[in-house]
Amino acid sequence: MASWLTDRHYFLLAVVGYGLSSAYSVLLWRKGFRTDDRANYLLLLASAALHTMAMIRRGFTFSQCPVNNLYEATTFITWTIAVSYLVLGGFRRLRFLGAFASHVLFFLGVFALMPALDPPHTAKPDFSNGLASLHATLILLGIGAFGLSAVAALMFLTEEHDLKFHKLRALFSKLPPIQRLEKVMNVLLLIGETLLTAGLLLSPILLKQRYGVYFRSDPLLDYSAFIWICYLCILMGRWKFGQGGRRFAWSTLGSFAFIMLTFWGFLLLSPVHHS
Amino acid sequence: MSHSLWKPGNGVLSFLVTGLSHHRSSVETREKYALAADRIPDELQALRATGLVDEAVILSTCNRVEIYAATRLNPAAALDGLKRYFLEYGKRSGAGPAAEDAGAIYQLAEPQSLHHLFKVAGGLDSMVLGETEILGQLKTSYATAQAGRHTGAKLNKAFQMAFNVAKHIRTHTNIQRGSVSVASVAVDLAEKIFSSLDQRTVLVLGAGETSEKVARALVSRGVQNIVVSNRSPDKALAMAGIFGGRTIPFEDWSRDFNQVDIVISSTAAPHPIVDTARLAPLMRQRHNRPLLLVDIAVPRDIDPAVLYLENVYLYNIDDLQTMADDSMKLRRDELARCEEIILEKARKLLGACNPGSTGLQDLQKPSTQATGGDHSSRGNSIPLPT
Repeated sequence: MASWLTDRHYFLLAVVGYGLSSAYSVLLWRKGFRTDDRANYLLLLASAALHTMAMIRRGFTFSQCPVNNLYEATTFITWTIAVSYLVLGGFRRLRFLGAFASHVLFFLGVFALMPALDPPHTAKPDFSNGLASLHATLILLGIGAFGLSAVAALMFLTEEHDLKFHKLRALFSKLPPIQRLEKVMNVLLLIGETLLTAGLLLSPILLKQRYGVYFRSDPLLDYSAFIWICYLCILMGRWKFGQGGRRFAWSTLGSFAFIMLTFWGFLLLSPVHHS
Repeated sequence: MSHSLWKPGNGVLSFLVTGLSHHRSSVETREKYALAADRIPDELQALRATGLVDEAVILSTCNRVEIYAATRLNPAAALDGLKRYFLEYGKRSGAGPAAEDAGAIYQLAEPQSLHHLFKVAGGLDSMVLGETEILGQLKTSYATAQAGRHTGAKLNKAFQMAFNVAKHIRTHTNIQRGSVSVASVAVDLAEKIFSSLDQRTVLVLGAGETSEKVARALVSRGVQNIVVSNRSPDKALAMAGIFGGRTIPFEDWSRDFNQVDIVISSTAAPHPIVDTARLAPLMRQRHNRPLLLVDIAVPRDIDPAVLYLENVYLYNIDDLQTMADDSMKLRRDELARCEEIILEKARKLLGACNPGSTGLQDLQKPSTQATGGDHSSRGNSIPLPT
């Protein structure tokens, strides 16, 4: 690849790939998910490769983990979803997750490309040490896992609707069984919650380093704790009360939609992350 | 192998087919001509010994008995001889008057014979359009003939191409997609809900014939735990015995419901025996795991309102039949594409740049009206002496 291509160029190409995949996914949906999804998988694989290149270049350009502003946070979450999908898509029966993930990837990609989200690195957040980078990375990876879980939930709801209303597509589609999708959702939520927990556990240490206290009220910190509790409730509801099926899927999808709509605002409102 | 083997008029072997199938003969006729697998090698030997054919494959299934042959003789004379041989065989097996059976026997020479073989391999000539079992049976028949050295270059090429056609049809069309019977639709739906069927428990409410078919189809896909509940304990015991399952009293059918994943219901009850009020607490007991309800009873055993319960999937006999019919319609819609594939492959095998030289123009045009029957196999595509 030409050296004049910046990380944003690579990311732009990746988003174009996600967009093509999204359009192709609409075709797959219209055909009732009957045809093999290998082409879509390869398209997402190529896009994810470009995306990875964008992240690497960004990291090397600024000599730090690229998780310092909204653009970087969004691209990181998007990348986590893409890579997680590529791993899961290795299993043939879960490959159709891509037909649902591509829309989320494209939406997040377009959102990340908005110029205002990527200000010059002069007023960047203070992630001066590795611990801060680890903290941000773990949380964003966790959100990525929640994102892919939401994609599985979307797939579950589509198939569940087809089965409930006796659509022929339920019989003909190559989508995996809904019970397997439930399991995938559950595992991804567990991974996401674990990563979020690990990331949040580093917060008191970072606060102590910077402010000399273990706890300090901050919009993003409070918000993160709220998100953590939300997902814990979803997992407990399933584990303790057998909450499954549509309600579980809607909770998973709704929670991630809530994060997507509000995370950015709380990040911008947070003095701790912009001092 | 050279395509010259297939060029007409070069004095080499002709590929012929003769036999009878479900299209024109009753099951009573077919069963007289049917050959057990262990008798086929001897029959092939006897057929070769007549000098009528140089190579032969005998296919005998519940829906057809056919001889595929390659011969140096004049095709019309060879087909005449094969028909006589066929009727003689029927007589030996206790068949009725030969004249009655003679009308059911079809005789095909090239290129219709090749076209017919490809259609059989692709499941287009089967009673259930697009079924795949016939391909396995055709492969077995071919292997039997090959093992006895009854095949040569001509039949080898024809059968290899037939298997290739079947594969092509399977991968490039939807002719074999979906299920076309109530039982198999129910099983396919179960596989769309549950990760695997081997750990599932099936409760059969009412030991009827259709419920047995559905249970049998589920067992064939891995289900191991069958629980039968019937008003008559004897019938319940008999069905449980077939599947190695167990019985529970009909009055107490919900006793072990927390273990049940699939319910097949076909009782003669005049009103629903499963309704929301009864099912809701049972669902809570089983921690809201998915539940597939297959109601094949008329009047229905399961109140349709249970569909509003979360994780409950209800299908009645009409739902299943509609899905099976829709699948069949989709298969029929694919017929024209399959015909195109068959014609293309036949043309390739016949090595004909100009279809006029191979007789391919005699083959019927692709039809979307077909019903799974092979019109060319009804003995009226090419007039041959009988």
